[in-house]
This record gives sequence, structure tokens and C-alpha cells, in this order.
Amino acid sequence: MERKKSFITHNNNAASSNSSNIKGLQLFIADLRSTQQSEEQEKRIQAEIVKIKQHFNSKDHHDKLGGYQRKKYIAKLAYVYITSNTTKLNDILFGLDQTVELLKSNVFSEKLMGYMTLELLYEHRNVIEKINDKVEYQLNKDLVGNNDNFTSLALNFIGVVGLLSSQMGFNEELVSNVFQILRSPTSSQNLKKKSALAFLTLLKANPAILTEDSQRKQLWIQRITNLLDDTQNYRLTLTILPLVEFITRNIDPNCCTRLLPQLTQILYDCVVLGTSSSRVNQFPLEYKFANIPNPWLITKIVSLLSLMIMSPNESDTNVQNTAMLHTDNIEPEILNKLRSCVTEAIKLGTKACNDPMERIVQNTVLFSLINFASKLDPSPEAIKNSVVALCSLLSSPEINVRYLTLDSLVKLCSLSGKPAIDAVRYDNLNIILNLLKHERDASIIRKIVDLLYTFTDSDNVKLIVDQLLNFVTNSKHVNDPHIKSDIAVKIAILTEKYATDPNWFVIISLKILSLTTSSASFNDDEIWQRLCQIVVNNPYLQKITCEKLLDYLYENEVSESIIKTSAFLLGEYANQITDSVSIPELFNLFTDKYFIVSNLTKAMILTIMVKLYIFAPEIGSAVIKFLQLELNSLDIELQTRSFEYLKLIQLAKVNGGDINLLRTLFAPIPPFNTKANPLLKRLGSLPSTAGNTLAEATPPSSSSPLPSDTTASTTVLTPSNKMPPIAPVSRMNTQKTQEQYYSEQILSPNWKEGFVRMILHKQGILQSTPLIKIIYRITAPDPTQLSELRISLTFINQTEWDITGLSTEIIPHRIQDNPEYVITKKEIPSNASIQPQKRSEQSFELIVRKPFDVELSPILLVHFKCGGSVNVLKLKAAVGVTSTLGPNPQHVTELPEFIQRWKVLSSALGKDGECVIDGITLKRESSVLEDNVEDAVLLMKQTMKRVGFDIVEQGNVNNTIFASGIIHTKSDGNFGCLVKVKYQDNGKISITCKTTKAGPLATYIAECIRYTLMK
Amino acid sequence: MAIQFILCFNKQGVVRLVRWYEMCNGGMNRNGNAVTNNNASDPSSPQDLIAQIYRLISARDHKHQSNFVEFSERTKLVYKRYAGLYFVMGIDLQDEEPIYLSHIHLFVEVLDAFFGNVCELDIVFNFYKTYMVLDEMFIGGEIQEVSKDMLLERLSTLDRLG
Repeated sequence: MERKKSFITHNNNAASSNSSNIKGLQLFIADLRSTQQSEEQEKRIQAEIVKIKQHFNSKDHHDKLGGYQRKKYIAKLAYVYITSNTTKLNDILFGLDQTVELLKSNVFSEKLMGYMTLELLYEHRNVIEKINDKVEYQLNKDLVGNNDNFTSLALNFIGVVGLLSSQMGFNEELVSNVFQILRSPTSSQNLKKKSALAFLTLLKANPAILTEDSQRKQLWIQRITNLLDDTQNYRLTLTILPLVEFITRNIDPNCCTRLLPQLTQILYDCVVLGTSSSRVNQFPLEYKFANIPNPWLITKIVSLLSLMIMSPNESDTNVQNTAMLHTDNIEPEILNKLRSCVTEAIKLGTKACNDPMERIVQNTVLFSLINFASKLDPSPEAIKNSVVALCSLLSSPEINVRYLTLDSLVKLCSLSGKPAIDAVRYDNLNIILNLLKHERDASIIRKIVDLLYTFTDSDNVKLIVDQLLNFVTNSKHVNDPHIKSDIAVKIAILTEKYATDPNWFVIISLKILSLTTSSASFNDDEIWQRLCQIVVNNPYLQKITCEKLLDYLYENEVSESIIKTSAFLLGEYANQITDSVSIPELFNLFTDKYFIVSNLTKAMILTIMVKLYIFAPEIGSAVIKFLQLELNSLDIELQTRSFEYLKLIQLAKVNGGDINLLRTLFAPIPPFNTKANPLLKRLGSLPSTAGNTLAEATPPSSSSPLPSDTTASTTVLTPSNKMPPIAPVSRMNTQKTQEQYYSEQILSPNWKEGFVRMILHKQGILQSTPLIKIIYRITAPDPTQLSELRISLTFINQTEWDITGLSTEIIPHRIQDNPEYVITKKEIPSNASIQPQKRSEQSFELIVRKPFDVELSPILLVHFKCGGSVNVLKLKAAVGVTSTLGPNPQHVTELPEFIQRWKVLSSALGKDGECVIDGITLKRESSVLEDNVEDAVLLMKQTMKRVGFDIVEQGNVNNTIFASGIIHTKSDGNFGCLVKVKYQDNGKISITCKTTKAGPLATYIAECIRYTLMK
Repeated sequence: MAIQFILCFNKQGVVRLVRWYEMCNGGMNRNGNAVTNNNASDPSSPQDLIAQIYRLISARDHKHQSNFVEFSERTKLVYKRYAGLYFVMGIDLQDEEPIYLSHIHLFVEVLDAFFGNVCELDIVFNFYKTYMVLDEMFIGGEIQEVSKDMLLERLSTLDRLG
């Protein structure tokens, strides 16, 4: 027997009881392990397979084949599959049907074995094709059955193979069964957790589950986000977070913005309160790991928050524009909480501690939050502090810490730009260069190079490139050829971008190309091709480059890249260096190289031979001899090429040395107009913003003589035909989503009552349900700025239970491209929980910028939980143009004056600034008698006054109200309006509105009035 | 933003535990740089990938090298060695690595408590129980429970169900 060796030093008793062991299986495994010879093993396996086949096939035994036996045999087959490293898949496939049979068992361990085996085998498409239908049928049965343990096996199975099978996500029944478990209030915590991740898996396989039907999308997403609330030690939260993150990233970026306060609070509870030494707010011990409150929860929340919040830098550089929250519209209170989490994490991360696991977890939290910090619009001071904290960790003895520190520095420099970059390169460059010399880990070197790359500019390019070159040529610690090749690419990009000295640029570029000899995998064609482009486009580089190439060619060992570059460039510009080398000499040089290079390079050399002939026809016979030799080449391309070239030269000779045809065919190469540097796409692992940030941090003008010339696109890239920036396109997208999001909202059934009330009254009840009452108040904080409104909301708990998880979302119709109104200074509800009969308050400010239709008023979403039920109210908070009504400074108090102005407007604008709405049935209060004109007119008058109009007091026309007012808007200015509201003989009302501005404003006003008068 | 796969193999490269949460041929090794230009090339089989991972990790010096290494254009590895066994997680490039060390450590702690001084042989003989532990901790490429007490209580209940 083999001796049992524990790989963790502990002395616990076994928790697993032996009762659940399968003896036959244990014996089989022990048997296999004791046979040393693979032949014997193979025999043993085949014998077992034959035995199992007999059992499975035998008609007599079939009925008797009990669950335990079946489980044992399948387990053995599973072991054969595992121990053969999957190569024996075909030998065990005969057992598939019996495995499916096992799924149907009512014994847990048998079902477990069935699902477990299939989880392994689902890696193979042919297995899926054979049995998936049967498996899905059984999954559905287990999902809806009432045995929780079976349901949890089914959910596990979906969570494991849901992405491997291409069909599962499209099984409507399966999807809705999983979702049903997730949303049902009666499901156990354990099942909910599992269903959240099973659902996530299905959603990844088929996002159309949510995107296809907008009503379902809204409803399901709402149900999911509401579950974040359910915080029994955040067990469920932990699994809902990845689901919400996936939805935010791929389906609906708006879905979780309202959760910001709640997420912030959880993070704050963990990072700040959870780590404090005070006895209050102790974090539950079982959810601490290595002494830190739930690091998993922390990293998941930070990851979601990073997705939601867009930093000021990002909005410029326009990375994936999914985030909807910008730091300037996050409430200061929340921003402060988040920032204090960062501060706390820095304190925690730099604290001394001896337990290695604890230190890793401390650092997990530290790096997660420091990487997030740049989203919070940090002050240059704060950035510098982060850099200082990080750089102090660069000298940590722990390799992991150094690696993560560098990773974090790279992100910080890319996202926070200049302040971070300066702090790193002015104070810490030496430490970093020192690490480059001594680290032995390729992963770390990669990060160092990324970091150096982010902050190289024309001031330090020489130093950094020298160090990198030094590393590539001399480093013995790290022998990963890929890294060296990546560094070579980066050096090429940096020299091109920041070189200030053409001589140096050429020397370095050729040095990179010459490195090929030391490492075979250095075949980066892109590097030499790029150099050729640059040299072609910049005539002053041509001569020096050719001279330097010549030096290399005279050396004994020369890299193939150098030969390729030489073949190309000397072929073009050999005439520029004839004082250093004669054409025949060049011809000889290339003849020497010809036999040591690959066929591709040979083909290039054949071409330069012809080009040399054009420069100096006297070498004709030597060239012809050479080409004739190659007619026998085994390579078809070389053969063809030499044949064609040979014919061309012979043709020239026949025509008395007329080389005009050759000159035409080998005309000097025109400047390249490739816009982007092809090398840039090789920078795979860098954060996407790095390049951009740097380009902005170091203006490409002044100091360097090269910059504009080095881009191959010199002649093409003038400001007029530059590519338009991408930003506007993506803005359109966001805006479209915002409008879509707005219009997708399905309002609560009785929203209209409160909506109309808000047009009519400055304060009142927006909504009243048995659970909650919402009161609104509209004020203008600054009496001289009537277009700026403050809307205060009060939520009153009408029940005998607590209301919890109160959160709101205010959805404006548009947020970009000159919106009609903008929402500013949004506060969050003063309390997220309300005790019975108590209240919570919230306010936001709104600036009316231009006239708009009251129908487009902001939508208010109120989410809360009460007595176990989850509730959402979707209301429209009416803010119409009439909300900004102010008195006319020149009061229109007399009827003649009103008529006078009416006529002026009619003659100036005609019907343009007018709107008539007819046939409105007046709403009446019970006290008002039918057909009583006086009562009706009185009601109309009161209504108009309440809305805020000035009424002309007159006794001449009894059935009509004459009113006036000024509409205030921030961007478009103020407009006067005149309104006639007439009670007609047929008992209906007509509204006529005229404004001092043509366009739809009159209609907007009339619509508001209609709402207030209408039945 | 998730775990792509979980692997466990011993010093000789014998695989003890494999779990793919997505089709594994999405990720290519750096060596396959032809792949970017030539999509028609054969996707690596799971076994090839595992062999590549084993070669990469077993060659690393665990005194002088970190527990993180980039593996392909879309995958990086977080790994840790416990006695003779390597535990490896493949994660997306944009994921932050360190938390996955906690994933691995918690997993090992739970295995240790569940089997009582767990060793490689426990995993060999009780492979189905090991997968049960794995499934109770990770599904859909995400961690589903982080309380060791909760996990052990649930696992021992399941183990006794028969």
C-alpha cells in the first residue's frame, strides 16, 4: 500500500465518512495502481470493460442491475477515462446510456455519479450530440422537482457544462426553470446561489435570453438586481454580482446605476468598518479570510463599480463606453465613502504582517482598490500618494507583491496620466531599471517593460531604450524568447516615436534587427518592414541607413533581417553611397550572403541584383551568370524569378543596352501612406488607454526633429483629412441607449394621477399605495432663476413593517447632445430603511434648458422591499414648461391690453406660435353642478391660477379666461405666452395659446393646461 | 471576467483534476502565433493545452518567480504548489490575479478538512468526491461559497446522503 502523505500540515479528523465509499471501485483503482507495467494495466482495464459490458448488455441481469451496481460500473468507467488522460474515451462510450439512466435514480449518490461523469464527458462534442436531449429532459425534471439536493445537482451541472453545450442556453423551458428558482422567494439560499451562476452560464451561452424581449429584459433584470439587496452575510450577493456585472457589460449598462449607494455601502462596511478594531460592527468571523473581511466580495464589488463609473480620462479617450456614471454626477457623499475605502486599503496593504496568506489577501484588497482609485477623479496629490505607496512595495521580498505592484503601476499610469507618470519616472526610475536587471521571472519582466513603455518620452527614451537593449542582448536570468521579441517590438516603436537624433534612431533600429542571430525566433518581419517604410519616406535617413547597413554586411555573421533590409534599401539607394562602396562590390557582398539565407530572402536578393544592374550595367555578365545558375533552383519561385529577370536583362542587351523597360519596372518606390504603425497591434497585453494617454502627455511637437517625419504617413496626414475622432459615434450609441432605456420603461398602472397633480400643484402626493406614500414639492431655490427647479420627495412608510433597500433611479429622456433638461445635484434617499410611519427624503435639481413636451418628463423608479415582497414603482415626475412659469413683469391685467398683445402676436407670427385644443371635457368636482357655466368658469380660473398663470380680471366675457405668463428656460431664454380658455356652449372647453416664439412651445403649454382641466 | 478552467496535476504532470468552464480551444499558446494569421489551423486539444501548461509551470522556479504567468492571448494562469500537487486556474487577461490565490487556498483548505489531511491519493481514490467539493465551490467559472464552515457542513451532509 502506498503511504498517505498529506500536503497540508494539519491534524484534523476526516470529515468524510467511509460509509459513502464504493468498495469495488477502490479495489479496482488499487489494482491498477499496483501494476507497474502498462501492458498489465491495459489488460486489467480491458478485462474490466468486458465485464461491465456483460453486465450492461445481459438481458437477464438488466432488470436486476441495481442502482449501486450501475453507480459502481460508471464510476469505474469514469476512472478509466480520467486515468487514461481521456484517451480511452471511445472505450467507455458504450456506458453513456447507463450513465443517463443513473441520472434518473432517486438515490443522491447515484445521481451525483451520473452528473459528475457527464460533466467530464461533456468536453466532447460527440457525447453532447448523443445524449443532450435526454439529459436536458432529466435536468428539467430535477429542476422542478421538490428534492432540493437533486435540484442543486442539476444547477451545478448547468453551471459547469452550460457553455460547453451549444443548445442548453436555447432550451426555453430550462432557462425559465432556472430563473424561476432564482426569483422565487421560497427557494433556499443555497439553490438561489447556484441558480444565479447557472443562469449566468446560460446567459453567456445565449444573451438573447434577455435581449430578445424588452419587457422580459426589464422585468428579469429588475428581479436580479433586487436580489443584491438580500444580504444574509452577503452569501447571495456574492453570486449575484458576477451576473449583474455580465448584464451591465453586455446587455444593459443602465441596469445597476441605481445600486451605486448600496454597493458603496457594502464595500464601505467591508473595507472600512470591517477592518476597524472597534468592537461595534464586527464583521462575521466565518466570512473573514486570512483575517480580512470577505476579499471575494470586495474584489467583485470593485470590479462592478469600475465598470459602472467612468473616469474623466476615460471619457476623453473613449474606451468601451459602457459606463454610465461619471464622477461629476456621483453624490459627494458616495464619492467620499469610496475614496475612504481606497485610503483604508492603502493603510491595510502597507501594514506589516507575518502570515503569508494574510499578506496576499491584504494585497489583493490593496491592488483591487488602487486600480479602482483612478476612476474616482483623484487629486494629483492622491495619485502621488498611491504611487508612493506602490513604489514602496517594489522592494518587497515577495515576488508576487512585486509583480502585482508593477501591474498596478502600469494601470495607474495608463489611467491617471501625467501626475502618476511623473511621480513614477522622476522618483523611481532607478528602482525599476534595477529590477529589470535582477528579476528572474518572465511575468515580472513583462510588467516592467510595460511600465517603462507607458512613460517613455523624448527626454528619457535614450536611457530606457539602452537598458532594454541591454536586457535583450545580455540577460541570462530570463530566457524566454517571446519576451525578447516583444521587447524588440517595443524598442522599435519607442525609437520611432520619440527619437530626436536621426543617427541614433538608425543605429538602434539596426541593432534590433541585428539581434536575430542570437535568437532564432526573432523573425519579426514587421520591424524591418516598418524601418524600410520610414527610410523611404524620409530622404535624409536614406544615406546614413545604407552606410550603416553596409557595415553590418561586412561582418561575418549577420542576421537575416539585416540582409532583408539591405536587399530592399540598398536596392533603392545604392547610388547614394557609391563613395563608400562600388556597385560590383555590393554585388559580390550579396552573392556571398545568398547561400546562407532562406528562400524568401534569396528572392529579395535576386531583385537587388537586377536593381544593381540598372545602376551599373557593366556588371551585366556577372548578373546573368548568377541568374542562370538559379534557373536550376529547386524552389519554383526562385526559378521563375531568375528566369524572368534573366529575360529582361537579355532583352536590354539585345536592344543595345536600352534599360528603359527595366527602369520602368523597377521605378523608385513611392512614399508609403500606411496610417497606423503596424507594430502597435503587437502590444496585446498593454491596457488599452496606455498609448493614448502617453500621446497626450507628451505633445509630439517642438523638441524633436523627427516626429512628424517619422510617421510613414507624412504626406497624407494633414489636419483636413485626418480620420474623424471616434467619440461622436459612441456618444450617439449611448444616447440611443438612454432614449431606448427611457421609452422601454413600463409605468405603474396608476401613474397618471400623480403626474397630472404635479403639473397643477407645486406640492402634493405623487403616489400613494398601501405600502408607501410619496410626496413631492417643486421649488425654485433661486427666485431669479426660474428655469432651475428643485424637486423634493418624501417617502412615508404606510405599513407596520420596516421598508428596506429603498433606492431610486431618475431617468431623464435624454442625457447628451443638447438635452431639453438636465438633472443635477441628485441626492440619495436620506435613509435606505424606513420604520413604520417614518419617512425618508430625497431631492434632485433639474434645469430646464429648452421647451419640451411634458410627456418627456423624467421617470422616477422607486425600488424597495417590505415584508418579504420586492416592489418597484415607476412614475413620471411631471416637469412641464409650465413648471417654470413666472409672472409677467409688465402685468397684463386689463382685457384691452391682452387683446392688443394678442393682435401683435397674430400679425407677427400668424399661426406659427399658436395652438388650439378643442373639445375638452372639464373635470368637475362633485359640488359643481352640471352645465353651470359660472361654476365651470370658476374652476377653470382656479386651475389656471394654480398652474401659475396671471389671470386678467374682467367682467365682459363670462365664459372665457384670459391668462398670461413667462416661460423660463436656461439655454433658449424666456418666452411670453397668452392663453384663452373658453367654456363652449356644448359644455366642452377649448384652449388657445399663443407664444412669442414660433414652434411647438404653444403646443407644449396647451398640453399642460389640457392635462389639468381634463376629466 | 471569470475562471476559464481549473487544473490540478502532480510534479510528474499526471492530471488529477480538470474542469473546463468554456470550450478550451478558445485559448492559444503564444507559440502558436501563426494562429492569429491563420484561423484554419487546428485548435489545440485539451490534452495539448494541459501539456503546455504543465511544461510552462513545472519549469518555473517557485522561489524566484511569481505565482502568475501569462499563457495565451486571452488567458493567464494563477497557480500554487502544495507539496507534490499544482493547482492552476486559467483566468481572463483583464482579471486581477491575486484573489484567485485565495480561491485556490480556500479550495485546498476545504479539501484538507473534508478528507482530513488530504493527500494526492485521496484525490485519486475519491475523485468523484473531489469533483463534488469542486462543484460546491465553483460553478459557471465563479466562486459560489466562501465560508469554510458552510461548505464543510453542506459537504458532510451530501456525503452522508448515500
